[in-house]
Amino acid sequence: MPHLWFDKGTILLKGEVGTPYGKWDPRSGCYRLKASYYKDALEYFKESKINYEDDVPNLPPLEQIKSNVELRGYQNKALDNWQRAGNRGVLVLPTAAGKTFIALKAIDLLRTQTLIIVPTLDLIDQWKKRVRECLGVEAGVIGGGEKAVRMVTVSTYDSAYSQAAQLGNKFMFLVFDEVHHLASPGYMQIGEMYIAPFRMGLTATYERSDQRHELLPLIVGDPVYSINIEELAGKHLSPYTYEKVSVELTPEEQQTYDEEMGIFKNYLRQRRIVLKSAADFQKFIMTTGRDPQAREALIARNRALRVAVNSESKLNLLAKRLDEYRDDKILVFTLYNDLVYAISRRFLIPAVTYQTPREERREILANFGNGKYKVIVTSQVLDEGMDVPDATVGLILGGTGSAREYVQRLGRLLRKKEGKTAKLVEIISKETVEVGISSRRRLKTREAS
Amino acid sequence: MLPSNLLVVWKRKGEILPRYAKLSNVNLEVAGGLIEAYNEHVGEKKKILKAVVTDLENRGYEYRFVRGLALMLDRKGTFICNSKINPVDLRRKIFQATEKIGLPTTKEKRRKIIEAVAPEMALTTENFEEYLYADLDDELILEKFTPPSASELLEQYNLSLSQTLLFDSTELSFTASGNWQTLFYFVKKLGLIYEVYRDNGMWVKIDGPASLFKLTRRYGISIARLLPIIVANPVWMFNAKILWKYTNEICNFKIENQKQGALFKKPILPPVTYDSAAEESFARQFQAIKSGWTLKREPEPVPAGNQVIIPDFSLERAGVKIFLEIVGFWTEEYLFRKAEKLKHLEARMLLLVDEALACEKLTALEKRPQLNFIYYHDKIPLASILRYLETAFKVVKDREIKFLENLQVKFTEPVVSFDEFAARVGISTEAAKAVLAVNPPSGYIAMPNILVSKEKLIQINNRIEECLKRSGKLPLAEAIKVIEAEGVTDASWALTQLGYKIAWHGINSEKAMVSKPST
Repeated sequence: MPHLWFDKGTILLKGEVGTPYGKWDPRSGCYRLKASYYKDALEYFKESKINYEDDVPNLPPLEQIKSNVELRGYQNKALDNWQRAGNRGVLVLPTAAGKTFIALKAIDLLRTQTLIIVPTLDLIDQWKKRVRECLGVEAGVIGGGEKAVRMVTVSTYDSAYSQAAQLGNKFMFLVFDEVHHLASPGYMQIGEMYIAPFRMGLTATYERSDQRHELLPLIVGDPVYSINIEELAGKHLSPYTYEKVSVELTPEEQQTYDEEMGIFKNYLRQRRIVLKSAADFQKFIMTTGRDPQAREALIARNRALRVAVNSESKLNLLAKRLDEYRDDKILVFTLYNDLVYAISRRFLIPAVTYQTPREERREILANFGNGKYKVIVTSQVLDEGMDVPDATVGLILGGTGSAREYVQRLGRLLRKKEGKTAKLVEIISKETVEVGISSRRRLKTREAS
Repeated sequence: MLPSNLLVVWKRKGEILPRYAKLSNVNLEVAGGLIEAYNEHVGEKKKILKAVVTDLENRGYEYRFVRGLALMLDRKGTFICNSKINPVDLRRKIFQATEKIGLPTTKEKRRKIIEAVAPEMALTTENFEEYLYADLDDELILEKFTPPSASELLEQYNLSLSQTLLFDSTELSFTASGNWQTLFYFVKKLGLIYEVYRDNGMWVKIDGPASLFKLTRRYGISIARLLPIIVANPVWMFNAKILWKYTNEICNFKIENQKQGALFKKPILPPVTYDSAAEESFARQFQAIKSGWTLKREPEPVPAGNQVIIPDFSLERAGVKIFLEIVGFWTEEYLFRKAEKLKHLEARMLLLVDEALACEKLTALEKRPQLNFIYYHDKIPLASILRYLETAFKVVKDREIKFLENLQVKFTEPVVSFDEFAARVGISTEAAKAVLAVNPPSGYIAMPNILVSKEKLIQINNRIEECLKRSGKLPLAEAIKVIEAEGVTDASWALTQLGYKIAWHGINSEKAMVSKPST
């Protein structure tokens, strides 16, 4: 009788019978299957009327779920489509459209061992809370030093990937929050090393600039539902106004800026380098590894940008705006960490960066949410599925170029209040729009996604 | 190990090598300078150390090299947060105050808020500013630092650099001069899979379960962890396949002790301690009895197909080899795999199985000819083992006896040693004796270790008689000398064979006398 068991993220099959899904492994002297073929293999045996011995799953005990999730119309439609696609597929919904609830409802319907995979530790906390509130069970957590497997477990992509060899046979349902992350070459293997036949992907931004989202149907299923922000706006989400303000550098700042940028430009001119695209810029960055002069040029450019970014006049304008909106809930955003701390020190307001201790971060976001803090400054885009506190004003401190993606992403976090429309203000330095900056930002975005 | 943005490589025509830091004067100077800087700045902020590094970079040293060294030094130091109170608490306090008093849009307002809060926390305003973000990385204080030597630092850097490159490896093949127990132990522990093949010695190829389906860097980290154990050997060589992400090509990363060995610090590995006290005591007891078997502990791994077996012991006697393993905790699956491996070998293995630690019953396995089980409880049954060895040995001996009996041997020399003869024919001495001593060829007399021709014996008899005639009495020691001079080693045996009597006076052989018996 063929015997199947789980071996570090794969399935071993002993016995004289092969399957269409297995591959002979000469190292172990038996057939080996990708874990994701688990259900297919079993179906194959059943249809071929071959008896088999299955030692693959090692599932945590089921717990009693008491669900109180009620879905809105479009959420129901989304879940419906997903079920009809065989409990597989990706749902594309804008931020704040309640993706979480659809997944929780699916767990309630399937009542099976579920792993929810999320990009950040913050999101683990958030899901854990939601699972407790909506399903009435405690969720296990994997990641951030914790390792507890329960019927419903939340994990980071990192842990789900690195511990696939131990976790792959413990769940029957996988929920991929922000599923576009899954398409990266490493994380893709999560799809292959888990036996779970039921899969749900959630995202607001299905498409990736590298086109890798085209691989997702293989491991999660096709996109089965999509609704865009316009269809929801006004009804469930709020519109906002956008304003862009440019300020001049102080004379001293301008001088330093020109000097440093001059070094950079000179170098480019001497070497006849033209930076037009992100790829050009990447190429230039690679030369800095070999050519000390290129590196010097890069350092000079970075110093110039730092001057522009940290410009005193920008902070003065920020002060004015903070004063103007003193009754609103304000989210101040900039990409630059140093600037975040400079602002935090100057205005004595809470800062959230990648360096913020986890506990403190949790506390700050909670206090911002419940209104104890009215202003926070951050260098992290908090939109990725985070329940970001409903700010009514967003202030973006740019470098020199305009950060369009961030404008859009932050815009979605804003809420109108008492009939007052939300505002988004971007503050940048004037006349310093420089070659390379927008491409650099594009690079950054790609790294971040 | 370093972050991948600090990795510096040299890549050409499908070959890739980390740019190792040679132990040259220039590099030793950079390393030494950094170590000194860390030493000098104990008690100061981390950002000062970062400035030292930036300065070195600006002076034209490869920045990834300098940062790599600095990172290794960071790990040799302890950094602490210099604040009398937890900065998180301090911040909470001030943020709450800001909410209450109102956002300080002027410097004046800011000062007022701080002046309101600082005394509450028993702080001066200067302290306040200092402690507010004292827990940021830049602000941490280097409290303690254990300086390595400059060459140690470079050697550790080179090892880390290699490991960092191995993060992107899809597989690794290596050979090494020893340390196999530790190596295979880690291969298993790290969740890797190995295959053994021969190519000028034994090579081991390593990847992971999912490597069967596609090239994957997934096992790179585990492979990197194995590196220190490989290079800890006096002789080693490895070849890793690197999936270079920037160009998406597969490159060979090949190094060996002869070329690169001097660049690495040999990590000191703890001596392998064996898991069972049973092994220890078995070895001691077995060596105490003179069984005729040579016991070797932890012999080299034995290739069996594309896997290896590392037996606990090998037992050898006159060309007969038996592997022996003491099995503690076991499952049928475990023993089954062992049996599968042994199929490829002609060797036999004796498994001493602790009954108390069984978790499954053996059913299908008993029939396997390659495996023999002796069950035990508490104490290793030496007598049963010896019986098993005797039987195993007898099987071989019987085969040899048959072989020898069919062999038509003709001797011409006056003295034939069983040892030499057995070696010449390729059988055990025991088998040679069993045939030749029991049934000596005509014209020969069998003694314990040799065959002697009858002519030779007559010659010896004549020499002894001469001696006796000359002096009337002959000390045993002298008689032996005479006989041995004739090429016969079993001297006293020859004397008795010839009918001489040995008169002992006490137990001192020097006083023993040889005499001709009265006929």
